[in-house]
Amino acid sequence: MSATSATLPARRMAGWAMTALPWILLAILAILPLLVPSPNFTRLLFMTFLWTTTSIAWNLLGGFAGQVSFGFAVFYGAGAYTTALLMNAGVNPLFAFLAAGLTAALVSLIVGLPAFRLRGPYFAIATIGISEAVRVVMTNLSFTGGASGYRILEHRPFRQLEHYYTALLLAAIAFAISWKIAHSKFGLGLKAIRQDEDAAADLGVNPYTYKLAAHALAAALTGMAGGVFARYAAFIHPGGVFGFHTSVHILLMPVIGGIGTVWGPVLGGFVFGIVEEEIVASFPEIHLLLYGLLLIVIILFEPGGILGGLRKLVRRFRDHR
Amino acid sequence: MTLIDFTNLLVSALLLAGIYAVMSVGMTVIYGVMKIVNLAHAGFMMLGAYFALELFQRFRIDPIIAALLAFPVLFFLGAAVHWVLLRRLPRSDEPTLPSLLLMFGLWLVLQNLGYLIWGNTDRSIFTPRTLSVVSTVRLAVFIAAVGCLLLLEVILHYTWFGRSVRALIQNRYAALLTGVYEDRTAGIAFGLGIGFAGLAGGLLGSLYSFDPDFGRPFLIRAFVIIVLGGLESISGVAIGALVLALVETFSILFVPAGYQLAISFGLLALALIVLPGGLASLLAKVRRVA
Amino acid sequence: MEGTRPFLRNAFIWTAVVALPITFLGCTRKKTADAVPVGVVLPITGREAKPGQYQREGIELAIKQINQNGGILVKDRGKKLPVREIFYDDSSDQAKSASLAERAMSSDEVVAVLGAYSTALGEAESVMPDRYQVPWITTGAAATTIFNHGYQYVFGTLSPTTLLGSSTAEYLGSLVDQGKLNKGLKLALALENTDHGVDYGNGIKQWSQQHPGYFNIVFSENFDLGSPDFSGLLQKVKSSKADIFLADAHLQDYITMHRQYLQSGMHHQMISYGARGPESDARKAMGDGVDYIFAGIWWSRNLPYPQVKKFNQDYKEFTGHDPDSWYPATAYDAMRALQAAIESAGSLNRTKVRDALRTVELKDSLLPGQVLKFGPNGQINTPFVIVQNKPGGKVDIVYPKDAATGESIAPIPKK
Repeated sequence: MSATSATLPARRMAGWAMTALPWILLAILAILPLLVPSPNFTRLLFMTFLWTTTSIAWNLLGGFAGQVSFGFAVFYGAGAYTTALLMNAGVNPLFAFLAAGLTAALVSLIVGLPAFRLRGPYFAIATIGISEAVRVVMTNLSFTGGASGYRILEHRPFRQLEHYYTALLLAAIAFAISWKIAHSKFGLGLKAIRQDEDAAADLGVNPYTYKLAAHALAAALTGMAGGVFARYAAFIHPGGVFGFHTSVHILLMPVIGGIGTVWGPVLGGFVFGIVEEEIVASFPEIHLLLYGLLLIVIILFEPGGILGGLRKLVRRFRDHR
Repeated sequence: MTLIDFTNLLVSALLLAGIYAVMSVGMTVIYGVMKIVNLAHAGFMMLGAYFALELFQRFRIDPIIAALLAFPVLFFLGAAVHWVLLRRLPRSDEPTLPSLLLMFGLWLVLQNLGYLIWGNTDRSIFTPRTLSVVSTVRLAVFIAAVGCLLLLEVILHYTWFGRSVRALIQNRYAALLTGVYEDRTAGIAFGLGIGFAGLAGGLLGSLYSFDPDFGRPFLIRAFVIIVLGGLESISGVAIGALVLALVETFSILFVPAGYQLAISFGLLALALIVLPGGLASLLAKVRRVA
Repeated sequence: MEGTRPFLRNAFIWTAVVALPITFLGCTRKKTADAVPVGVVLPITGREAKPGQYQREGIELAIKQINQNGGILVKDRGKKLPVREIFYDDSSDQAKSASLAERAMSSDEVVAVLGAYSTALGEAESVMPDRYQVPWITTGAAATTIFNHGYQYVFGTLSPTTLLGSSTAEYLGSLVDQGKLNKGLKLALALENTDHGVDYGNGIKQWSQQHPGYFNIVFSENFDLGSPDFSGLLQKVKSSKADIFLADAHLQDYITMHRQYLQSGMHHQMISYGARGPESDARKAMGDGVDYIFAGIWWSRNLPYPQVKKFNQDYKEFTGHDPDSWYPATAYDAMRALQAAIESAGSLNRTKVRDALRTVELKDSLLPGQVLKFGPNGQINTPFVIVQNKPGGKVDIVYPKDAATGESIAPIPKK
């Protein structure tokens, strides 16, 4: 980065804007449904927050630590089912969400303890197997309704805004965690693992425990997102929350937005949420094509995702000035 | 269980193993030469199945022959994909995440092309023979599968290309030093792998109904098989295919049919974690202990 | 993020500022003009595309006929209003199905939502009607779990699947009574692992328990919908040495499974795939392999009612093809029941329409028994008809006797 273009006050301004931006965004999003009282619009944002949460969560493991997982649907589904079962047992939704996160984190340990003995791509392949196996088992498990799915019966009036703010809060927490990690020693350790696992181990970072910790944290967030979704949908089934396409979506968002950054997954989540819910709903026949091409283009030409592309654009613009 | 039931199951396991071997061998060749885990394998299998269907429906070509014809077509498609996309990836001695994601993206694209062209209703190849006598189709599929595997063995052992492939699998640097032209060999190897995927898809299309999402369970089975086979060995694939086919076929005696898929998926995770070197390493270990 | 470039941050704010209002604009729809807006959510792509399309045709035929007569008379508006259909394709995806139903109910100001073919999609949608207090009539979901939660706005024009199961068993029992089948035959059940399959199995089991001596259920297992391979399951059915094979499957699974059934050279005295059997797609895929399969269905175009004959003609004129199995009829009648309810409510108020739906009685219904009336749980309870595929592509009603157009062929002759 060239230091000539930014004078000191400008930099200070930039730093201020940097810290303020999340808060401004949060404030806008908090009042938006009041300004635009359309249930459909609120639902769209609600889903976008959940997608963003999972996107940020995936990035903790896949982006910071470089461990690509095709199995996040396991956590999303575990969270959804935990919430559903607990809420039907009369537990307060808030506790149900927390329990969902806890369950998902526990599941992540069961998956991670053996699977993290594998490296990189082997880990990725193992997650495909695990997530498909879990889906098949859930499809046949009778006490959760099997393939028929499971229904949450909540005996009180439906208030959409309540769901909206829960999701917004969850996304904000996810963002805060991601931000904190990116600026912490833990985050540095994860980055070291991504770059060279053996070297990281030599420097005193235990890759195994670091990966497990990141995995558990990511799983907890994903599980809570699954729980919040389950309460809203009031009906879940294994083919949806445990489906392979759920894993795919969770993986695509951060890759599209910009892997390994704080803002990339957020950007990816928003783009995906809006595209998936609105535009793609009108063209269901080409959405995989869109994602596939985007993925190929990003891998071959712009590994930094949309965020990386924007940065390049900005740099070029500035250099031409 | 009577002896007849047992023999029936054994025979169907053997027939299944043949086709499993064909679908996995392509993946092994690609992995061995290029160290790429071909996630798009399922997409190419799907193309093979629809190719056979189209030839059969339009030109009344026998579906088994159509599947064999899918091999050269998909071979060139694979070579083209290598030339357009894979050449641009950085070389590596072990599978990289970008290569994984690239192949994954390619899979999504292929799948969606399938949806665009053929829609998403189930299709199946229906011939009078499909319904007539028990298992003639399975037998024909098995013969075609084994024939192609033998052909591959011959190619790998008696041609310059085959020797280059084996050299690259064994030791890339040494191979380069002895004058193996990596780009071309990799291109042909990738084409070969995709050709086998297409062949397997065409053959599977004669046995099962399919839609553009066809192949995902088979992709995972192929993973299981190549991991069991030790990732880079062609004969390992044959053993892996046999093991998986036996486990799957006989598992229906003990678990409900609904859980059958979970077995191969669970086996994948297990094989990766417990046997990263494949069955061969297990045998070696046993021998060392003995 | 290591950079500290203000531009980048601006880019974010711009994205947010620009993208959100655009999507908002995309979300708003034109307000209702002088019409009766009716939401229709059905799969016309995806696995359930074929039946979904047939049901859509049924609804649209009814709407066309209503509008040709000037529309629905709404008393508190003092005139007839045409029906305006707001159609959404859920592409056979459960989550999408629910959110589209929600969208129609919350943002399109519809009077009611029709549709939801197949139990799985209906289950997902069924939580929305009470949430938004909009009447919802499912034309293609029959599992009892949708109707036994005390929902107040949920209706359905399909008789329960348990009844399908017990009607199937009753029909087989009648064949035993006629001496066509022997007493004490062994049944093998293969059920789709959804509530639909559970209900069907329960219906058969209940009937067998109430009528001891008729059948023994020797095998009962579930399978995954949409699986490409049922050979393991069929292998087990084979080794159970059952005399009668009863499966409960969807159209695609029926075709896949029966193909493998034929491939493995299996034969039973009777065979059924639940509510699937006479579809022309199946005959296209398996030729005379589908002969003698019997099915319990909610409606048949061979029913001897004058209104059915007229419907068959109108439908053929409207779509260019004959009604395939039962699909269009339940949809057609759902729209007509809604019309009757709106007229008797005299209002487009959703709660009033709901109340009217509870009492509405369609006296010239196409369905067996000719009367459509929603029960206290919202589901109708018309009897099933059993049809059997005959050689040469003919489909005969074989049960109940008073509607029969042909004799049952039982047991199925060996080839």
